[in-house]
Amino acid sequence: MTDETLTMLADAAASFAKPDTARVRAVRGSADGFDRAVWKQMADLGWYAIVVPESADGLGLGLTAGATIASKLGYAAFPEPFVSAGLMAPWCLARAGARAAPLLAAVTGGDVVAALAWQDERGGLDTDRPGAIATVSGADTVLRGACRFVVPASADAFVVAATAGDGVGLYWVTRTQAGVSVTAEPCADGTASAWLVLDDVKVAPEHCVATPADGAALLRSTVDLGTIASSAELVGGMDRALELTLDYLRTRKQFGKPIGSFQALQHRAVDLWIHRQVTRAVVDAAIRTFDSPASDARARTLAASSAKARAAQSALLLSNQTIQLHGAIGTTDEYDLGLYVNRALTLSAWMGNASEHRRRFGALSATSAKATA
Amino acid sequence: MSTTEPFRYGVAQERDWNAMSDEDFRALVRDDFDTHYPHALRFPSRRLRWHENKDWHLRMAAKGWIAPAWPVEYGGMGLSPSKLLIFMEEQERVGIARFQDHGVLMVGPVLMRYGTEEQKRKYLPGILSCEDIWCQGYSEPNSGSDLASLRTRAVRDGDDFVIDGQKIWTTLAHDANHMFALVRTDPDAKPQQGISFLLLDFASPGVRVRPIRDLSGHEEFCEVFLDGVRTHHTNLVGALNQGWTVAKSLLGFERIFLGSPKLPEYGLQVLETVARARGVFDDPVFNDRFVSLKIDVAHLGDIYGHYAAIVGRGEPLGPDVSLLKIWASETSQRIADLIIDTAGPFGGMNAAARIGETAINALAPFYKARVQTIYGGSSEIQRNILARQVLDLPG
Repeated sequence: MTDETLTMLADAAASFAKPDTARVRAVRGSADGFDRAVWKQMADLGWYAIVVPESADGLGLGLTAGATIASKLGYAAFPEPFVSAGLMAPWCLARAGARAAPLLAAVTGGDVVAALAWQDERGGLDTDRPGAIATVSGADTVLRGACRFVVPASADAFVVAATAGDGVGLYWVTRTQAGVSVTAEPCADGTASAWLVLDDVKVAPEHCVATPADGAALLRSTVDLGTIASSAELVGGMDRALELTLDYLRTRKQFGKPIGSFQALQHRAVDLWIHRQVTRAVVDAAIRTFDSPASDARARTLAASSAKARAAQSALLLSNQTIQLHGAIGTTDEYDLGLYVNRALTLSAWMGNASEHRRRFGALSATSAKATA
Repeated sequence: MSTTEPFRYGVAQERDWNAMSDEDFRALVRDDFDTHYPHALRFPSRRLRWHENKDWHLRMAAKGWIAPAWPVEYGGMGLSPSKLLIFMEEQERVGIARFQDHGVLMVGPVLMRYGTEEQKRKYLPGILSCEDIWCQGYSEPNSGSDLASLRTRAVRDGDDFVIDGQKIWTTLAHDANHMFALVRTDPDAKPQQGISFLLLDFASPGVRVRPIRDLSGHEEFCEVFLDGVRTHHTNLVGALNQGWTVAKSLLGFERIFLGSPKLPEYGLQVLETVARARGVFDDPVFNDRFVSLKIDVAHLGDIYGHYAAIVGRGEPLGPDVSLLKIWASETSQRIADLIIDTAGPFGGMNAAARIGETAINALAPFYKARVQTIYGGSSEIQRNILARQVLDLPG
């Protein structure tokens, strides 16, 4: 992909996702938690085919392009589940083989909102042993167990990752299928994630999208992709929260001066800007690592933990400090900053927060150091 | 008609380095540094004095490698930005100690830009051969962060300027035989407009250098007293009263090396060695703090890479680059603090002490890191600049 293509895509995403906080407020807490009409518009722009290879009728632009869009959506605090249903599900289905082709087409066309269901009820990050269990029963596979933190809660279908013998299988399950029950759990920003309980759910062979031999690697790369993309979405949100705060510091007057002329506040604003700059560089580096053909699975997972450890930490730091720099108005729901704070809280906690990714970074970098020693 | 040979400033270069691939060039300098730079001098815990590391730098001078950034016609290696970055990165990787290199980094580039032909021919060869070691006379006892308030005066007397005043925090002035100084030549002008850029010889009568002993017991900085020191008027660089502009032009892309991740990476190695020797490496509390710092250093590498890419494309760096210095220096300080904490009783000893299998001075990184948030524009001044010039906050 050329720099020019990327710039055009970034411009298109920015002009589509202009901050419209009235709309964001209107869909908060609704049944879907986002706007299905907007979802379809993004499908028509071709965005759900961005990480789908050209051989599978996609655009083949990679995470570089996908994360660019995620970042622009973050800047506008869009509640639409682009990272989950627009990047992760298509990435996964496009690499699952021919069986998944019709499912992929429905997802990239925006007709079916599909979510990856892989985390257990405690929210662990282990992609090797998912909480749901798959057993073979005649021609069908039967799923039992639970998945949680599945975004969005109102998904039409789920790609369920289940422990199958020694491996991990991936299975297409629809919301209305027998044995599937879904409870929506509300998130801080007015979206919701699903708690999925699978009670002897029968999956036909054509819906077994990855065999136990292939599923673990595919699940891992899908989760790494989503983790880095949601870090990029957090960077976009930080861009806007910082912009709002700097505008406020320049215009709000107390003691006859703009409060941004006070050195104590200037230095704190600079620190927030430094954290945003560093985070952006870290996420960009992780994106390059993910897209590079030279990277192995460990390098990609390390990059994902590197990105999310920094992005989640910086996003929460900015949330806390931008509220404080605004004073009382920063604590109100009617001021736009709050939408970014709540979105940052939601995204920071999803698929591993800063501490969880720091621990994993430490463990992975220790083993890679030993391996190369 | 003139077919005279061009003036030869230094030794000729063996080849056109920029014609090599980046990979080949990196391999060549890496091999040279690894093979020839003494192990005992790698990552020294303090700034080395000239008598300690001059052998290496004289070798570099003889090889024509002392001024990698200078153009070939001035006796430098003439490296492109990307090659120069590689050269510097390999020096950092091996832990090569700097000498008092202000002649190469500052005086040379300033003379090439503002100097007369006579000044260039007089001074550049001595810098390239390392016969002349230059120090920087900027800070004064009452002019640190507020440099434009400096009061050392130079008054024209016949063919000379006569200089009276005092400079301080002059790095390795006791290794230098020349100084480039900012001096006030118009006491009535606005602070930044009455300053000139003068060169002076330490052999002149009236120069006295007094080393300042620091917290660690070393002498890296000096006071320099200038008492009626005469320097010929041809040692004025640039126009009279234009010294501030001349000095500011020196803020080149070398600034990114204040943010090089190599030094903090070395600090992490020391920390790990101390932790293993004291049996706390597997302690979860230690490990959490260690991994946090490890991530901070890895992320310094990412942001450094961002700026290195700008340099590599030949684009200028903006004022935003000073975030690198802030992040690098503050990370080094946190590492130094954790080394002390992890070292237990060794954290109170300022000497190489035997810890486990190795001898480590657990306080050396602490002392080394203290000054990093102060020199070259303190962290607070950097934040002031960022607030005004990058964040556009009101003054």
